[in-house]
Amino acid sequence: MPEIIDTSSIINSYVPVAIFLIVGVVMPPITMLIVKFLSPRSKSKQKFTTYESGSDPTGDARIQFNVEYYIYAIAFVLFDVEILFLYPWATVYRGHGITSIATTAILAFIVIMVIGFIYEWKKGALQWSTK
Amino acid sequence: MVMDIIAGSYDLLLEYLTNPWIRGYLGLSLIGFIFISAMAAVWLERKISADIQFRIGPCRVGPIGIFQLIADAIKLFTKEDIVPRKADSVMFRSAPIFLMVSVFLMLVAIPIGAVVINGVAYPLVVTDMDISILYVEAVSSISIIGVFMVAYSSNNKYALLGAFRNFARMVGYEIPLGISIIAVAITTGSLNIIEIVENQTIWNVILQPIGFFVFFVALMGDLGRLPFDQTEAEQEVVAGWLTEYCGMRFGLGFFAEYIHMILGSFLVVLLFLGGWNLPGLGLLTSIPVIGFIIPTLVFLGKSAIVLAFIILLRWAVPRFRIDQVVNLGWKRIIPLSIVNLIWAIALGLFLGA
Repeated sequence: MPEIIDTSSIINSYVPVAIFLIVGVVMPPITMLIVKFLSPRSKSKQKFTTYESGSDPTGDARIQFNVEYYIYAIAFVLFDVEILFLYPWATVYRGHGITSIATTAILAFIVIMVIGFIYEWKKGALQWSTK
Repeated sequence: MVMDIIAGSYDLLLEYLTNPWIRGYLGLSLIGFIFISAMAAVWLERKISADIQFRIGPCRVGPIGIFQLIADAIKLFTKEDIVPRKADSVMFRSAPIFLMVSVFLMLVAIPIGAVVINGVAYPLVVTDMDISILYVEAVSSISIIGVFMVAYSSNNKYALLGAFRNFARMVGYEIPLGISIIAVAITTGSLNIIEIVENQTIWNVILQPIGFFVFFVALMGDLGRLPFDQTEAEQEVVAGWLTEYCGMRFGLGFFAEYIHMILGSFLVVLLFLGGWNLPGLGLLTSIPVIGFIIPTLVFLGKSAIVLAFIILLRWAVPRFRIDQVVNLGWKRIIPLSIVNLIWAIALGLFLGA
């Protein structure tokens, strides 16, 4: 028979998270509201220009990402998902009568992960181009 | 009679303190604590930096400049709040929310010490989660959304360059951070920070020295502290992602970063340095009043040492170039973390048998 888990205690442990979330969302605007009352205010045309070391700003800053960021991002997502599988495993793999099978399984998993990593490395996906 | 009343009120207190709502509201005082310790950290950083460079550092406001940060806070509050004309106003104004939410949510699950009553340690934590370390890691990466919102909404070239670098760095260092946390979870058998501390009969730094090194380097990369502060390298990209922020809006981003750093040093102590435990302290904490404060002091002392080390590192190591950072992360630290993972699995089998 599976162990019955009391979900109310799990939900209860996230109540403070909700409180802190609300405080975190509310705090910066309130701080800026206080600043609004305390700070001086003056109008000047130059003041609101974009900072570019003193000279007049040229063009738009919103340029495209370099393509190598995408390669890193894809590699990151792959690895992050892979290591996410390790979290639940890490806490239960011993002492539940599944030690040997769990260890073998995870070692196979890690070997596959490492093979993927080596493949990626040899393909040059991890090479930051400095051209 | 008196003892009965004390015992009764003690039970009542314990009942109140297990109520999640009361814990949450009481826990809000932690925000004050963490802001004050952020101020202390800034002061410490200035003083240590000054000492290293044979300067005096802050010395005018209060004895040895201890109230310097209060003066700075007053200054930030009375500065004009400027939103550049070309900036995306809504995003520009809401970005600090993401930075603050990230650190506040981390604060919920990180214990800041413990109170020992009758030999039982009650950790000082707002909420006791089953998966608190995973949760902390998850919410700590919310801040990258804030960083990118700041940079993209500023419509400033330096800011966007800083954010690009931040991306390149973060993706490389989140993975080894996660893997070394898993290695800790393996040897301690839990994802709950409190249980990780309690199960460290031998400190994890001794069990997995490679893991400690990987975690520390990855944490530095995550925090964007020197040698990994390409995000706001003053000599290269002005102030990086915070270039267009001024006054209190800058202050919020700045404080979020410092609080992140403090919480990072808390995590180092909790995961690898035995938290609030110190060998040979068990005897001392069994004395009633001392047990109330000593574990917390031990914990904060350890954190202060880690923090001071992070600050010292700033003046010991030059900033890496961005391609060096990325190569170090992917080609050195990640393989090292996998080696440590295998080591931890073997160690876990050996210890848990």
